[in-house]
Amino acid sequence: MNINIKSKCYFISAALLAGGAALFPSHSQAASCCGGSSAASLSVPKYATAVADLSFDTEVYDGYWNQNGKHVIDPPGSDLKQYRLNTGLAYRFATDWQASIAVPYVFNVNKYSGQSSQNNALGDMTVAVTYELLDDNSTGKVRSANDLIPGVTLGLSLLVPSGVSPYDDQKSSFDITGRGFYRLDGTLLIEKNIRPWNASLALGYGTYFERSVNREYGKYVAPYRKVLGDRFTTTLSSGYTYVLGTGGDSIAATVSYTYMREGNTSYDGVTDSGSGFEKQSVGGALSYSCTDHNWGVRAGWNHAIQQKGWGRNFPTTDLFSVGVRYVFL
Amino acid sequence: MCFCKLFTMLLLLAVLTGCGDNLIPSNEDKRTTVQAGSGGSAVSQKTPDFAVPDINGTTVTLSSSLAGKKGAVFYFTMWCPICDTHMSAIQSSIIPQFPGVAFYLVDYVSGSVTGAADAVTASGYAGGVFTTLADTNHTLLTNFQGTMGTTVVVDNNGIIKMNEDFRDGATLHSVLAALP
Repeated sequence: MNINIKSKCYFISAALLAGGAALFPSHSQAASCCGGSSAASLSVPKYATAVADLSFDTEVYDGYWNQNGKHVIDPPGSDLKQYRLNTGLAYRFATDWQASIAVPYVFNVNKYSGQSSQNNALGDMTVAVTYELLDDNSTGKVRSANDLIPGVTLGLSLLVPSGVSPYDDQKSSFDITGRGFYRLDGTLLIEKNIRPWNASLALGYGTYFERSVNREYGKYVAPYRKVLGDRFTTTLSSGYTYVLGTGGDSIAATVSYTYMREGNTSYDGVTDSGSGFEKQSVGGALSYSCTDHNWGVRAGWNHAIQQKGWGRNFPTTDLFSVGVRYVFL
Repeated sequence: MCFCKLFTMLLLLAVLTGCGDNLIPSNEDKRTTVQAGSGGSAVSQKTPDFAVPDINGTTVTLSSSLAGKKGAVFYFTMWCPICDTHMSAIQSSIIPQFPGVAFYLVDYVSGSVTGAADAVTASGYAGGVFTTLADTNHTLLTNFQGTMGTTVVVDNNGIIKMNEDFRDGATLHSVLAALP
């Protein structure tokens, strides 16, 4: 198991600030050991009908935190990367409601001195529904208490194990692109824009569904039940938007901090006390939005801090992402 | 409505091209019966002989690994966080309970004896209780159809008693406890 895969919490609120469309990526898993995935949820601006998003991630693995939180380097000569092509669609089906789907396609490229492999397959996809509880009536100047009311969005998302997991007919851990478990997440997004500044807090709590396993890396085994530990994520971000001229084009810069924790795995109801993990990372993103045409492009970087105490039992990676989106009116 | 159709199509495409084993997991026991004592990598089969160098350059064979022991454990590592958790658990919880068993780490990724030795040092296992094998020709990887986390137990007759993921170590413990 990532991950997979899997993971690399990544957050770009700049897209929201620049054009009203948000991408709340994404936690993926180590390509070669934990399963890869990319779960993104898109946000349709209030004035729009839908958003389409296409992004490309490059995740470079560089060591890991061990179970004591110490950072350990990868074996000499290793070069591990995961590339993801993410397609996302979001659709507003009622005034305050929207649905979205995000589908990653994963490319694993692993090279050690004594082994190398390349593989590609669909990753774990995400379907989500969100409800906008409070609207952020963005303002340039606070004149009353009402101007301080943030936007609040509640969400429910389902991670669907559409990727290749360790429980498929894949003989190598290098070939997995998903974790093999359904996960239901509840999300809360609180955001506030006081132009040109903005800030947001995103919280998520997810629980995996227990499943049967009768095969490991292509080998059938005596069936057993397995469930991964609950996952908690939080992302704090802040940004600044600069409007270009009078046409509505803008550039937004965002910095973010993400904390992610996943609890211990259980086998047949017995908890494996050493299997949970934690990760802290920081990120930065730039986005350009052409409001007139509803196009937006962005680039971001997320970095796991390779120091003791910033994570546990998880790979450290750098994630580079570029993306483009289109808002349908 | 056009967008709704696109949404639905994307969802269906993803589901249909995804892996059915994960979407609808099976609890059916699909292990095939093998002839006990025949050559192979499955439990109850006899493992083929091998000759693989350890990180000191000493050649380890099946017979030398079992000499004077009740059995041998081979853990396949690619020096990842999960591997580290497993190796640490074996080192702290399993090895002290089974002094009559030999424990080997199988490095199938470093590609050379010196590379494997460097990986051992980088991961903090130098001077420890494991003997690390540099499986440069993937002999053991092939013999046992191993991958990250694969844990193999061979008794002193060369019969495979376990060949599966380490998981939480419970199976490894029970298999070792059952060795004669």
